Amino acid sequence: MSESPKKKPYFKALLLGALSAASYALLFTHVNQVMEYFVKGGWYAALPILTALYFSFVHGSFASTLLSIAGLQAAKGSGH
Amino acid sequence: MKKWLVILLAALFILTVFAPAALAESAPPDNFKIGSFTQVNAPSHTATFVPSDTGVATEVTLDESLKPEDIKLDDKVMVSFSNNNGTEVVSEITAMFLGLTRDKLIALLVVGLVGGLLSGFIGSGGAFVLTPAMMSLGAPGAVAVASNMCHKFPKAMVGAYKRFRYGQVDIKLGLVIAGSSIVGVQVGFQIQKWILDTWGSAGSDLYVSFVFVIILVVVGGIVFKDAMGSKDAAEAKTPKLALRLQKIKLPPMIHFKKADVVISAWVTLPVGFATGLLAATIAVGGFVGVPGMVYVVGATAMVASATELLVAFVMGMWGSAQWALAGLVDIRLVLIILAASLFGVQLGALGTTYVKDHTIKLVMGTVMLIVAVSRGVKVPVYMDHLGIISIDKSLAGVLDTISFWALIAALLVAGGIITAAMIKGIVRARVDEREVTAAGNA
Repeated sequence: MSESPKKKPYFKALLLGALSAASYALLFTHVNQVMEYFVKGGWYAALPILTALYFSFVHGSFASTLLSIAGLQAAKGSGH
Repeated sequence: MKKWLVILLAALFILTVFAPAALAESAPPDNFKIGSFTQVNAPSHTATFVPSDTGVATEVTLDESLKPEDIKLDDKVMVSFSNNNGTEVVSEITAMFLGLTRDKLIALLVVGLVGGLLSGFIGSGGAFVLTPAMMSLGAPGAVAVASNMCHKFPKAMVGAYKRFRYGQVDIKLGLVIAGSSIVGVQVGFQIQKWILDTWGSAGSDLYVSFVFVIILVVVGGIVFKDAMGSKDAAEAKTPKLALRLQKIKLPPMIHFKKADVVISAWVTLPVGFATGLLAATIAVGGFVGVPGMVYVVGATAMVASATELLVAFVMGMWGSAQWALAGLVDIRLVLIILAASLFGVQLGALGTTYVKDHTIKLVMGTVMLIVAVSRGVKVPVYMDHLGIISIDKSLAGVLDTISFWALIAALLVAGGIITAAMIKGIVRARVDEREVTAAGNA
């Protein structure tokens, strides 16, 4: 694995965590407008898809970083 | 035993092709609209409805069974229309998006986490817990399926990436299955839409539950039996059916390197089609996809479950686009579940690196059978809603409770087996590492 167990990516986790939390906060504070446009169908269908993708990148990287800080790594010998 | 899987797949094709044509005769063509009511006129039993797509207010007549005082103004609703003696009337009104309370939020997060863990581990699994969970929290069947699918594809993408890095994904197999499954998704989507138009939410719920139960019992039974039989096997054995199918040299033959299989496209494509069909209608394509890749194609459960994540991503994205076009995705539910499931899926993925093939099959079979109970007991309730049978209210309540606890049991058992297997594997790996270090120092 590329992650070294000695150097834990605290700064990266903090940055991604903040970005993820801010994105969630932004969306849920404007939930009424969001729900109005996201269910219109047609070209508006791109909105929920792109939003889900965006959150999976930001929040997914945050989750990954947090798991490696917690010491949860794949078994050695697996992968490349 | 595995021939049952082939029979099941064949039966599904026939159902898919002929069911809509056969059923179309029994009910008039209906439709549904999403929008909100702005005004209700109780004496004349009419209301002003504003559809979300056009925004043009229209006067609609309410069916006699609907009480005008129950209609909440300005709330987003899904309205089913039916033809009553030549006039189009509103026959059913379902709240489009459930109100989110703290308890529901916690429930979604917990289910998302364990569902993600399952997906990462067995390739699918979030869906069969999440769709019923959203439905039992009050989301209409179609919104639950749509939101689940929209949450599934980004989660699967993250899971597939992780397992690709562990060297478990057969990209070619994934793309072939995904390609053929897109055709299945299209067909499945038409069926689901048609059922919703014809029978409204209750019909859609009944259909989802019915297909759920049949698939879960048959395929889950096969997987569970196999897991029990291969308990002590160190290496995964290629199932007899797959070996026989691999001997059919009908071109085009495809070589799947990671799965280490050479097999005819005529065997692989139907597996993909059935996966897509189920994914679009009940959002659990993996239940045919993974066993199909194991018992029909001949991949190991490890490669099949990892490859399924790639399949789920490709066709989930395609399917989500369809559901989003119909305006059925509740993005709040999607994002709340993702908040937890993105942790779960990565944890499940790394968990597979510590276990053998047998554990993956054991988890898959067990969960499918328990969830079958959960959905099975709800079938009479939906049949009651549709007026096919009549059951007591108290009995319906008991069935609801059994359904709920079976779901919780499935979650706990699956989470328990995965966590225990992971901890055991991690501890063993650490002991081995220490021994190697000690031997190196000596």
